[in-house]
Amino acid sequence: MMKTFSIGGIHPNDSKISKDCKIEVLPVPSKVYISVAQHLGAPATPIVKAGDQVKVGQVIAEPAGFISAYVHSSVSGTVKSVGPRKDIAGNNVVHIEIDVEGDEWIEGADLSDTIVTEIPEDDKATLEKIKMCGVVGLGGATFPAHVKLCPPPGSKAECLILNGAECEPYLTSDYRIMLERSKEIVIGAAIMKKVLGGCPAVIGIEENKPEAIKAMSEAVAELQKTAKGYDGISVMSLKKKYPQGGEKQLIDAVMGRQVKSGGLPISVGAVVQNVATSLAVYEAVQKNIPLITNVMTITGDCLPMENQHNYKFRIGMPLSYIAEVAGGIPEEAVKIVSGGPMMGKAIANLDATTVKGSSSLLYLTAEQTVRGVESACIRCGKCAEACPMGLEPFLLNKYARNNMMDELEENAVQDCIECGCCLYSCPANIPLLDIIRIAKGDVIRIIRTRK
Amino acid sequence: MNKLLVSPSPHLHTRTSTKSLMRDVVIAMIPAVIVSVLFYGWAELLVLGVSVASCVLLEYLITKYLLNKPCTVCDMSAVVTGVLLALNLPATTPWWVVFIGAVVAIGVAKMTFGGLGQNLFNPAIVGRVFLLISFPTYMTNWAKPNGFISTAAVDAFTGATPLGIAKEGGVAAVEGLDYMDMLFCNIGGSAGELSALAILAGFVYLLARRVIKPYITLSILATVAVFSGIFWAVNPAEFTGPVFNLLTGGVLLGAVFMATDYVTSPMSNVGGIIFGVGIGLITMLVRYFGAYPEGMSFAILIMNAVVPLINKWCHSKKFGRA
Ligand code: SF4
Ligand code: SF4
Repeated sequence: MMKTFSIGGIHPNDSKISKDCKIEVLPVPSKVYISVAQHLGAPATPIVKAGDQVKVGQVIAEPAGFISAYVHSSVSGTVKSVGPRKDIAGNNVVHIEIDVEGDEWIEGADLSDTIVTEIPEDDKATLEKIKMCGVVGLGGATFPAHVKLCPPPGSKAECLILNGAECEPYLTSDYRIMLERSKEIVIGAAIMKKVLGGCPAVIGIEENKPEAIKAMSEAVAELQKTAKGYDGISVMSLKKKYPQGGEKQLIDAVMGRQVKSGGLPISVGAVVQNVATSLAVYEAVQKNIPLITNVMTITGDCLPMENQHNYKFRIGMPLSYIAEVAGGIPEEAVKIVSGGPMMGKAIANLDATTVKGSSSLLYLTAEQTVRGVESACIRCGKCAEACPMGLEPFLLNKYARNNMMDELEENAVQDCIECGCCLYSCPANIPLLDIIRIAKGDVIRIIRTRK
Repeated sequence: MNKLLVSPSPHLHTRTSTKSLMRDVVIAMIPAVIVSVLFYGWAELLVLGVSVASCVLLEYLITKYLLNKPCTVCDMSAVVTGVLLALNLPATTPWWVVFIGAVVAIGVAKMTFGGLGQNLFNPAIVGRVFLLISFPTYMTNWAKPNGFISTAAVDAFTGATPLGIAKEGGVAAVEGLDYMDMLFCNIGGSAGELSALAILAGFVYLLARRVIKPYITLSILATVAVFSGIFWAVNPAEFTGPVFNLLTGGVLLGAVFMATDYVTSPMSNVGGIIFGVGIGLITMLVRYFGAYPEGMSFAILIMNAVVPLINKWCHSKKFGRA
């Protein structure tokens, strides 16, 4: 039996239309706007001002607190301004505007294609490099990577899990890097596993990506044969089910352990990192390249095949520019999503720019995405069947509409991971997650004030 | 594209809707409908037609004029109720009795509770039980299956169901009945009880389309089989056996199409099993010791009433909570 997580889950259409599109490098525009809030936690503090000259990879903003991250310039040129600009949701965030001149990199950055397989000995130095290079989790949450790689005292990592599930429909960027940068990802895993004290590392990939499973397995086998420090790394193929890539679900699938409500993965000995994060760790530690690029998918059913892309982008590129280069926005699209269709965000402002965690421009048509009219709950139980956290969304919906806070907490609304399975499944088109999301926020606030 | 649509995730939705689910239930009932029309002819068609038309019309009129709510006819749940009610009535039922059944099912059992999703009891069964109590003569004279030839023939040949025979004449009276006849629909009973195979085909369809889960149906059937098996093993002279009990008196029809109604059955799998076992037990108690020969309808109604309690006690297993 192939492994998967134990409760709930759904099987939406795969729609990996762009899976065979090789990664292309996006040309650098004449201007970039780099956000200082590209990670979970406190926005970074800008350390450049208008008129400053910057190189590619140079630090332009410093972390403001323990949970925060460095931000680097993705281009070389002159800082034009530092000030508020709208992000994809339309909220004002400080951006650093840079006029691009040439492409001059910082000293030490290794831009060659040579793959460096030797794992550095000094863990402290490795962690420092990961931190200095601004590496954050690229699976969605953008949590600073070095924080996750330093388990709190008293806890010990027993397994590093690399998330290669890419369970969201449409997205293919992780798939492409697993095919095209397999070795680098495995080296990144070996680096992280060493820092974590040498625990085993498992790369979890869903069965619907046999080529990725093959490529990654071959990379692991070859590195184990030719270099040191690669023992204990393995590839595990997982049954296809959404949300396999959810942190708690992936740990359940790979290790058979359930993180307790409110607990962190490390409490069951797990550290989860995305395959793209692993690649960023490789670049940072082995090549001295900070996290200023990532891969994003340009896709959608209404997009002609020749306009489907997997792009290597630099942070700070306007989305409208990328859409233009990719061949324009299709007529039928009514919504553009950044991220997967299940958990991604609808873009309100196309002038917003790419951030470290950008993963897609997904074009959806009205037929696909406009919700049906809500009707009465027919008590079919499909929402509860789908919920990977074992919640009863129909019940939470009822309690939330009646402001029953105690009942909401008793029925674990705070455990909701906002995966959207309930809303996706409801035949009566009840906006379950919309309502549960608000209730969850309220209940978490109540729990906090109690402490 | 001028303005971007912005709404919270998820951005996709399943193709399954209330309407598509109800349509699947109707499709699943088609084999049973065909069999009963083939065997009871025009009379059955009339019952079906009156039942479905009245249910739909009543739902339309009540939502539109009495409740001023958005019209819910399009969700097809009234069609399901109509077909189910018809399958539960003898083909000889006069049209006006069928109409009264529809009034009780839709008007009383469904709409007074607030419509689809709010009703505590299965509307079709409420309609049927009301008729059973109010018009016992029409409801217990089951037509003998008599082909799609003429209504006159059906009217002439009214006889008791096998269960009725067993109730009155004891086990010996039904000994001559052939189980193969029951499987392939040559026995008396309400229209939908004719062919076990037709109903099972519907069951398989519902499972394959993931409309229902098997727990409720299987636990009803298992309970009936085990319960009657024990009594029969102890005293075969007095009690009817498991195969007989599974194939008669609407057990299959009820277990597949009525007990599995979303609205009036428990939400969780464990709850479904409790519900099913309860229905099976009550059915057999009524059959062996009660005044009515069958008992399925009563059993479902009684367990319908217990569903809120079952839901209260059976919650789904939560992730990461012991
Ligand atoms: S969004 Fe929350 S409630 Fe809905 S299925 Fe996911 S975890 Fe369950
Ligand atoms: S899926 Fe929708 S209709 Fe079904 S029980 Fe949940 S809320 Fe009700």
